[in-house]
Amino acid sequence: MSRELHIVGFKVGRETYGVPITSLHEIVRVPEITAVPDAPDYLEGVINLRGKIVSVMDLRKRFGEKQATLRKQNRILVVEHAGRLAGLIVDSASEVLKIPADAVEAPPAVFQEGGLNCVTGLGKVAGRLVVLLDMSKLLAPGSLQVSSETAEKKTAEKKTAPKAEARGAGAR
Amino acid sequence: MTNPPDERGLELRELFFETSLELLQALNEEALKLEKKPGDEEIVRVIRRTVHTLKGDAAACGLRELSELAHQFEDALSLESTATQTAVAEIAFAAADVFTEMIAAYRNGTKLPSTKNLSKKITDLTAAPASGKTRRTRKAAAKTTTGKTAAGKTSTGRTSTGKTSTSKTSISKTCAAKTSATRASAKAVALWTEYEKVAMTKAQTSGLAVYHVVVKIDPHCAMPIAGRQLIHNALAAVGQVIAVYPDAKSPAATKHVEFVLASSQTVAQITAKGRIPTISEEVTIELLLEAKAAPQAAADQPALDPEADANPPEAEARAPEAPAPAAPFGTVAATQENVLRVEASRIDSVLNLVGELIIGKSMLQQALNEFAKRYPKELLRGKFGDAMAFQARVLNDLQRSVMKIRMVPVDQLFRRFPRMVRDVSRQCGREVELDVSGQDTDLDKGILDAIAEPLTHLVRNAVSHGIEPPEERRKLGKKPHGTIRLNAYHHGNQVVVEVIDDGRGIDAQKIRAKAIELGMTNAEEAARMTEAEVLDFIFRPGFSTAEQVTEVSGRGVGMDVVQSVLHRLKASVSVETRPGQGTTFRLKLPLTLAIIKALLFWVEQRLYAIPLNAVLEIARTFETEVHQVDNYEVLQLRNQVLPLLRLGRPVADGERKAKLFVLVITVGERKYGLIVDLLEGEEELVIKALDDHTFHTDLVSGASILGDGRVVLILNLPAVVEHVARSRPTELGHCNSGLLLSHTDRARMALTPVEGGQA
Repeated sequence: MSRELHIVGFKVGRETYGVPITSLHEIVRVPEITAVPDAPDYLEGVINLRGKIVSVMDLRKRFGEKQATLRKQNRILVVEHAGRLAGLIVDSASEVLKIPADAVEAPPAVFQEGGLNCVTGLGKVAGRLVVLLDMSKLLAPGSLQVSSETAEKKTAEKKTAPKAEARGAGAR
Repeated sequence: MTNPPDERGLELRELFFETSLELLQALNEEALKLEKKPGDEEIVRVIRRTVHTLKGDAAACGLRELSELAHQFEDALSLESTATQTAVAEIAFAAADVFTEMIAAYRNGTKLPSTKNLSKKITDLTAAPASGKTRRTRKAAAKTTTGKTAAGKTSTGRTSTGKTSTSKTSISKTCAAKTSATRASAKAVALWTEYEKVAMTKAQTSGLAVYHVVVKIDPHCAMPIAGRQLIHNALAAVGQVIAVYPDAKSPAATKHVEFVLASSQTVAQITAKGRIPTISEEVTIELLLEAKAAPQAAADQPALDPEADANPPEAEARAPEAPAPAAPFGTVAATQENVLRVEASRIDSVLNLVGELIIGKSMLQQALNEFAKRYPKELLRGKFGDAMAFQARVLNDLQRSVMKIRMVPVDQLFRRFPRMVRDVSRQCGREVELDVSGQDTDLDKGILDAIAEPLTHLVRNAVSHGIEPPEERRKLGKKPHGTIRLNAYHHGNQVVVEVIDDGRGIDAQKIRAKAIELGMTNAEEAARMTEAEVLDFIFRPGFSTAEQVTEVSGRGVGMDVVQSVLHRLKASVSVETRPGQGTTFRLKLPLTLAIIKALLFWVEQRLYAIPLNAVLEIARTFETEVHQVDNYEVLQLRNQVLPLLRLGRPVADGERKAKLFVLVITVGERKYGLIVDLLEGEEELVIKALDDHTFHTDLVSGASILGDGRVVLILNLPAVVEHVARSRPTELGHCNSGLLLSHTDRARMALTPVEGGQA
């Protein structure tokens, strides 16, 4: 008998991604976003979430999409990580998926390269693949503090990021 | 170490830790005084009293090691022969340090520091003089020395009893402290102790009659011990209670109570006071000593402890004796009506709520404005307006009151400096006098805590580098001892803290040379820099850390730290120096951290805010007025040349005729002009922190939410200015601009290329 993972699935581009439901705070429509100067391009800015200021990252840009425009069906996933809130812009948020823990495979080593070192595993649901994301990697200060000019260089350096840690955090 | 397990014990300890800091501060201060006036008996007495209080408090909290050490020190001080030695001050300093360490160790539950050194010093002190070898008995000492010294003596025996009696209610504790102070078995009324006799004569000479008041306690009284205290309190209100019998613990205590009372009131008045229904059954008063005609000023006794202000009659009565062993309770009981100790976090949460309310207010205001626009004829508008105005006023008061709670006098910070200056000046072989003024200027506690380190740094620097050695000063015809002045005052919406020394000043030429050597500037540029610009170098990271620089310039280890702390506080530091005459460091601090008055403006369709107190004026001008000097855009404003910072995109050729808004701001001592697109207005902003894990920019110091829910970013002006200065374009004809442009802006601009600057 294996455990089931409860995953919130959402789409960025054509792929379905997932984050553990426990790390999700809420899903909101995209409000007015205040851009912050001197920030990497995938950091869209900050929003006002009922009196709280929450920083927002555009996952589409984070995953390499160059021309990302905001449309009506775009949503912001407000996730909670290490006690702070962060917003993730996604194309659409769809469903809650239940994935048996043994249906999750470790990400191929090739995923550790480029900007995708935040993938903790691949879940298989009804013949589809869901890319599971690790919040701590996605929002880790190190991955975001780089300004856009140095971003590529930095992510390249992070190829060596320990895999085990990423897997452990995602399987919870 | 006995550990009081119950909650009350913990509370008591917490209280002790807090009060002990004050005691240690007092100890330091007195030791400083003593150092100036060696052998002053009065100061030694104050020191002993402080140590004694500490000892008693420590014992009450079960901190045995501390209490024993304090006891040893106190004992040494009470010997006349030792008290006059000059080494006392030295030991007092050492003791203060060791006590501080011990308390910190207790507090954090870590290992206690070694006390051997100190106790050896103390033993040496007592052993050194021939007369000190044989300790006189307590009685003998009591007879030969003054009443005050006698009190100090008996106190040793008192604490042991005091310690055991600290377990019951606080009321009985104060009683116990009073009574057990005298004798273990006090049945014979006629037998007054030496101390009480002295106190009686003293009261008599100061024009008070001394009465013996016997109150029989009602046998039906449910709480005789509490009743006792009530009677005591009632009598303390009409005069000075010199002694109380019998001991609260003795079985007789529930039946009757006797007081020795010094009072200017008549017998009838005292009887009336002592007669409390259901408690006292019978009051008998007997005159012991008649008042003497020539009343002496009661103010002979210097006010020693905080109670003196809160409760003069009692404090006077208590002043001659050493403070009661259970002083945490004593202090609290006496001052609790006036002073509350509240956790800072509680106040912060109130302040947060007030901040939310202010956002709510602007929301309401906005809704009202819309309403007024939509229904211009609606009569209800006036009512709404009135209600709004009223609410706004109350809210302002509320905000101010809450702010005031957070305000503390800078004295809390300043008082630690005398000791530090003394230590540092000794180490460096300087003679320094510290002059402190403006101590009662109030400042936000958060800011005060934050500037402690930078200020310490500045003062330390002033001593070690600013002030010349005495011989050098003599040669220059200055007084051999240098003066460092700490000053604080309000200036508009800011508090200014100054560190002024009369030392050698900073040599701008040397800094210039060093800056060139370090590659921070080139010779040509350096030559053109104003002195203020040159002095700015000392705040640059890297500049200050080089050891040689410290020697030549006489300034600087970690000056960049000073500046970075101040930037974080949205404060600024400026330096003013005159070679040979001294240097002034001036910290300009905001009154509070949480709410600022800000000016809102638009750059590239985005709203930003800057602190209003940084804005000197707003100028309107045309693009054609903007000139370019060596890759800088400047504007001639009246007879000044103002360097401009273009926050938005560079100007396009077709827009040359456009009008411009220029905000004239000051950063440090220098002025800049910010080119902005449009002004929005002035608003009170509640500062919220940006998630600095995510955003690693120093351009923005915080964010705030406006009434309509929009988020506005608050710019960090020093960082903005620095950014422009750092990233100076080397290409001729390209001025810096676009600091606030985002990537999307840049992408958009890349599609429609614009020539940068005015080529």
